[in-house]
Amino acid sequence: MTVIRFILDSVREMFRGPREYWIWLAVLSLVVIFGAVRYSEQITEGLVVTGMSDQVSWGFYISNFAFLVGIAAAAVLLVIPAYIFDRKDVKDVVLVGEGMAVAAVTMAILFVIADLGRPDRLWHMLPGIGRFHWPVSLLAWDVLVLSVYFLLNLAIPFYVLYSRYRGKEPNFRLYFPFVVIAMFWAISIHTVTAFLFSANPARPFWHTALLGPRFIASAFASGPALIIITLQIIRKLTSYHVSQTVIDLLALIMTTALQISLFFVGAELFTDFYNEGSHAASIHYLFFGLGGYYSLKGWIWFALALNLTALVILMIHPLRRKTLMLNIACVMTFIGIWIEKGMGLVIPGFVPTPLGEIFEYAPTSVELSVAAGIWAFGILVFTLVAKAVIAIEQGKIFHSKEEQRYTL
Amino acid sequence: MNSVNSQYMVFVFCLILLPAQAQESSEPLQPLRFEGYPDAPEFDVVPRKDDLFFYPCGQCHEAMEPDPEIRTLNTMHDAEIEHGRGRIWCMSCHNLEDRNYLNTLLKELVDFDEAHLVCGGCHANRHKDWYFGAHGKRVANWQGERTLYNCTHCHNPHSPAIEARAPKPAPPVRAGLELEQGTKHHKSSIWDKQEEHEEQ
Amino acid sequence: MSNDSNSGKGCGNFDKARRNFLRGIGLGTAAAVAQPAWGGQTFQDAFADFFQKDYRRMSAEEIEAALDRIERKAQARYDVEIDCQNTPPQSGVVYGYAINISRCKGYRDCVHACVKENNLGRDSQMQYIRVLEMDQGDFNLEHSDHYYDPETVPVEGKHYLPVQCMQCDDPPCVKACPVEATWMEPDGIVVVDYDWCIGCRYCMAACPYWARHFNWTVPEIPAEEMNTNTHYLGNRPRPRGVVEKCHFCIHRTRRGQQPACMEACPTGSRIFGNLLDPDSEIRYVLANKQVFRLKEDLGTEPKFWYFSD
Repeated sequence: MTVIRFILDSVREMFRGPREYWIWLAVLSLVVIFGAVRYSEQITEGLVVTGMSDQVSWGFYISNFAFLVGIAAAAVLLVIPAYIFDRKDVKDVVLVGEGMAVAAVTMAILFVIADLGRPDRLWHMLPGIGRFHWPVSLLAWDVLVLSVYFLLNLAIPFYVLYSRYRGKEPNFRLYFPFVVIAMFWAISIHTVTAFLFSANPARPFWHTALLGPRFIASAFASGPALIIITLQIIRKLTSYHVSQTVIDLLALIMTTALQISLFFVGAELFTDFYNEGSHAASIHYLFFGLGGYYSLKGWIWFALALNLTALVILMIHPLRRKTLMLNIACVMTFIGIWIEKGMGLVIPGFVPTPLGEIFEYAPTSVELSVAAGIWAFGILVFTLVAKAVIAIEQGKIFHSKEEQRYTL
Repeated sequence: MNSVNSQYMVFVFCLILLPAQAQESSEPLQPLRFEGYPDAPEFDVVPRKDDLFFYPCGQCHEAMEPDPEIRTLNTMHDAEIEHGRGRIWCMSCHNLEDRNYLNTLLKELVDFDEAHLVCGGCHANRHKDWYFGAHGKRVANWQGERTLYNCTHCHNPHSPAIEARAPKPAPPVRAGLELEQGTKHHKSSIWDKQEEHEEQ
Repeated sequence: MSNDSNSGKGCGNFDKARRNFLRGIGLGTAAAVAQPAWGGQTFQDAFADFFQKDYRRMSAEEIEAALDRIERKAQARYDVEIDCQNTPPQSGVVYGYAINISRCKGYRDCVHACVKENNLGRDSQMQYIRVLEMDQGDFNLEHSDHYYDPETVPVEGKHYLPVQCMQCDDPPCVKACPVEATWMEPDGIVVVDYDWCIGCRYCMAACPYWARHFNWTVPEIPAEEMNTNTHYLGNRPRPRGVVEKCHFCIHRTRRGQQPACMEACPTGSRIFGNLLDPDSEIRYVLANKQVFRLKEDLGTEPKFWYFSD
């Protein structure tokens, strides 16, 4: 069957390339294996090998999860210009964005599984044979929306690429409705993840209506940062055509999103510190330390400095147009938001505990190793998918010569 | 009728009534006596006599002449009482004539196993709470048979304040983690803050 | 594989060897299945454990089988014979609890009685009850000391507040659980099915009273200290990687006994009973004392009150 050939040809393409490509795959695989080995420690000993405690019961894993859902949602920033505003230059690279979404969702789900106390009981979540507490539990919502988003971002590119593989134009009327669904769904995955946190009045640091908007804004800043860098790498390493106008558009979106994101941070700081009450204990701990504990203080100010510097660079047009400066700003934004939305969001929600205790958290080497392994896995998935996508888009793999009408 | 006449009428009326009552019973009117709280759920009380080392007290005291004068006693058992700051002394609770019993404020005899009736004479609110379960301790179950501990089970009647004792160990932290002590919180009370402010 | 029809003289020995080999495999498999090699369980038990349904959907027979497996597991793990029951809730009963905080002296007798009664892991250092020490006149939990360790208690100028699961009537933890491993029983106790929990710890984030605790490692309980009177939803030995919490000593209270914390308290600060019985001690307290609940404004409707007198 053609589909099987399509899959086989794609997979073959994933494992074909110059020596540097193989070294890259090997390095990533080594990190993945390293992470897997350390994860097996966690499986044998239990989560006691992590730095989490009853006081801070979510840590590095969930921090990365929250951040990665944002990256996954940011794929929509390519989908909207490509399909709604019909920008051809963006349409050429939209599949890369969707590939990134797939990789990001994979990583996000792996982080959740790594965080579970009983991953052997995952089947308990399956509706029917298990108990799926939907629509009450926000975690059930998150699992649902992430799974569907994953499938959407697999199915739509699969159809488009399969069509092109067979030398045909994909049927716009067939896949466009799914594209529209995927657009709204992208916003929903990140809103649901935000609601997962903000639904808890037990945690005043999270219990704010602003958390949903903050998540979207920071996702739309960090996502494009990653896409900009990735597209430049693709442009450099392959003959795939990436128009500079795409980069410019993403940089502009990123700038606005970062402005909004920092404005939200400012709003939080004002609201909590003008009349400081118990509600502000967590943010006080985060930014200024509390009761002699201040392990996150350095990190958050560093993140804020990164984001502000990046914003300054981005807001100065001539600087934003300079490749080096733009890339510096992207890296700064990505790292800054990873800190602010990752550990800077999850940990202060637990400090102080609902009973007023301050107990700090630091990730252990197991957590760092497993996280590195999952990131490497995600990058590996993206590399393989991008390899196949680029080959198909460039017409390098195709079903038959006669059908090889479509080339980029 | 004039007022003298009406008073006379009342007087005659009472004279008629009194013999009528006298026909019903030849005893004088009984004052209200404490009979517990009828609304309180029923209960038994854990007996105390077995735990009292010197009981029955009459063993010695039957041979001794009771002396009602208020004084500090010279005895081999608890005689100093830290109870009431001088409002009460031994014979306020212990029956003068029969040391095998305690007595209420109204000098009714109270068995040692019912000591709560004595305590309740002064500590009425606490006594009521105890009847209804808001004070004191119930034995073993919350449902069914209701047995309560006597007041004296927890409170030494001669020194009822509960003494300080060592606490059990502080909570541990998760295996593999350390408890790092931050700065001990010191919150100045409003009046301390005023003083500190003035000192500056 | 050699064809049997081709067996000649030389193959006869081979056939015998093969038969022995296969018999060995068969015996070995039977042994592996029957021996407690699967983390201390037999293969059948491990298999049944893996596919065990959640408590509320198990039939009576399935629950019986689950109770038996729990008892066998405890035997294998701790070398103790326990009795695991499934005492149902009493009808017409909803439990309520009140603590007289002017009587509490901070002894922590309740904390340690609970640890013993409920087979809490000594090594995983699990405690359901936490007593807070605060300055007199201050009720800000952020100013509390959880680790007080003076020579004697009560320390002058301090007051004490024991906190444990409030058994909320509108529990945020129940809403949070993605697999419905925690729910409120008809008698008001919020329970956890430890064999269903996946250990995501979302309920721990949702709880406003820090009442839910996680088994970061396997609970270690010395065999001689094991309480063998257990309940499926309560104090039976729990596995690693699941959440647990105070369950009002479900194995005791459903039989009319006081929870261990109440029995242990020497000052009689703790009052427990049936909220549906207007003549109960707890109802008297609620009607006649100035009671309050922690974080009342969150709307969780705890069934756990505090008062002072």
